[in-house]
Amino acid sequence: MSEKPPAVEIVDLVKTFDQGQTRAVDGATLSVAQGEFVAITGPSGCGKSTLLHLIAALERPDSGRIVVLGEEITRRHDLSRYRARTVGLVFQLHNLLPNLTAVENVEVPMYETGLGMRERRRRALQLLELMGLADKARRRPPQLSGGERQRVAIARSLSNDPPILLADEPTGNLDSKAGRNVMEALEAIHHQHGLTIIMVTHDPGIAASADRIIKMLDGRIEEG
Amino acid sequence: MPFILLVFRNLIRQKIRTGLTVLGISIGIAAVVALGIITKSAKTSTAELLRVGGSDFAVGRQGSSDLTFSTLAASDLQKVENYPEVAHVSGVLLAFSKVGSNPYFAQVGIDPNDLAFFDLPIVEGRRLEPGARDEIMLGPEAAKQLKAQVGGQVEVRDQTLTVVGIYRTGTVYLDGGGVLPISTVWEYERKEGLYTLLYVKTRPGTDVAALTARIESEHPDLATLRGLNDVSDVDQGLQMMDALNLGISILAVFIGGIAVMNTMVMAVFERTREIGILRAVGWRTRRILQMIVGEAIMLCMIASVVGSVVAVLLTRFIVLLPTIRAFISPEYTPDVFVRGILVGVGVAVLGAIYPAYRAARFSPGEAIRYE
Repeated sequence: MSEKPPAVEIVDLVKTFDQGQTRAVDGATLSVAQGEFVAITGPSGCGKSTLLHLIAALERPDSGRIVVLGEEITRRHDLSRYRARTVGLVFQLHNLLPNLTAVENVEVPMYETGLGMRERRRRALQLLELMGLADKARRRPPQLSGGERQRVAIARSLSNDPPILLADEPTGNLDSKAGRNVMEALEAIHHQHGLTIIMVTHDPGIAASADRIIKMLDGRIEEG
Repeated sequence: MPFILLVFRNLIRQKIRTGLTVLGISIGIAAVVALGIITKSAKTSTAELLRVGGSDFAVGRQGSSDLTFSTLAASDLQKVENYPEVAHVSGVLLAFSKVGSNPYFAQVGIDPNDLAFFDLPIVEGRRLEPGARDEIMLGPEAAKQLKAQVGGQVEVRDQTLTVVGIYRTGTVYLDGGGVLPISTVWEYERKEGLYTLLYVKTRPGTDVAALTARIESEHPDLATLRGLNDVSDVDQGLQMMDALNLGISILAVFIGGIAVMNTMVMAVFERTREIGILRAVGWRTRRILQMIVGEAIMLCMIASVVGSVVAVLLTRFIVLLPTIRAFISPEYTPDVFVRGILVGVGVAVLGAIYPAYRAARFSPGEAIRYE
């Protein structure tokens, strides 16, 4: 029986900004198994968010390889389908569309999947229920608390049922109670659905929820 | 939520900006539609004039700058009358002058003997007497405006004429004017023996198209008029209105396009981060383009509706003026509104190209970092 390929495999990844002046990721190499919950930690500016953005295909690396579920994404021309189907993204700021309700925000990524209107709505409501927000589905982001917004953002990231969830400081803007609620939601998804989660955080307490902690310094993977 | 509703929600986020842009574009579209309605109505009035009296076709002077400036002599009437297929030719002299409150009261001079061949449905009174010089028949609009009745008198070019009958033709020019002996019109117009148009009735079984083609071929100075398509031979005015309409449409597209571009560029820059998020959750460039172009098209469609309503109200208002009412009765045909919509679409496409291009070029990572 063949072994499952890693969820994410990064080899000698380099990403620079300012015409090469700033080396945000400097030869990072990392492997995350399927179903693993990994926390990437490190001081501010160490390149952990950039690394996450590279895995999310929001940026293209200068060199190195990113292989996701056996496929090298760095060679792909159009990454929209990958972003829509393979990875779900949660940001530090919820980044919800302010003119849409919670349920409509959760529907947004589903426009690319060809699901019908009713099916989109059904699935979005189901995800909000999973996040304990069924009663807040018709509220717009300004009418929700910080923790609730972040849980709507998690529901949105799960819209297209991706195998990998990428979270960039998901509790960074929340008080401790709201942060705990968000972490409980992430852990529940991880355990119930077997999702691979890669989370960036500078908070050791939050990182402790993960199966494995990876430390970054100056664009390199130091431990893990 | 359907995608179109998402597009609409984006549009109404900046209500004042969207409202002002709609207002600006709708003014341009109102001008295009209103001018289209007026041009169409003027054409219809002219086309009606060609069919007056139940004739098969009319004849005018080739190359006249305006239908009413066409000048034909008795010899021209004779030339047409000589064709064996022609049953009767009625020569008519048209004149316009101020009568009552109407500054362009249409006077149709005709030989009273020709009225036997000229279908002019009388609703009250009688036709002109052969040989009479001081009689007039009025259209219902003219009678109403002049408060004239059969047996009453009206002043036309210092002539006191007795109203002998009221007719109704359904044509704007005739119903708003009067029919009087051609000898009277010749006298005060100082155009003895001249005609503006000849109305021709053919014998049964005549191939009218072949006959008109022969007349034009054998007499190149004459223009036969069977419909609006022939009017350009004797009337440059309608062509000028068409050209003016086209010019205003092009101007509206450019000016409106810049207004839409301004609105959409601002919307795209304000939403840079948001567009980055949409790209991050998997939206393809094509869907971003659909959203931006969709917003521009929706903006312009709203403006098209508002502009069309304004145009209808405007034309209804302007026909209250006797000067305008003498020439046109507004015609609201689908083609003028379609033209307004096409201008709206042109404005939207022109205005959306650049902002959509900018939005599509955003790298998701850069857009998300944008503050």
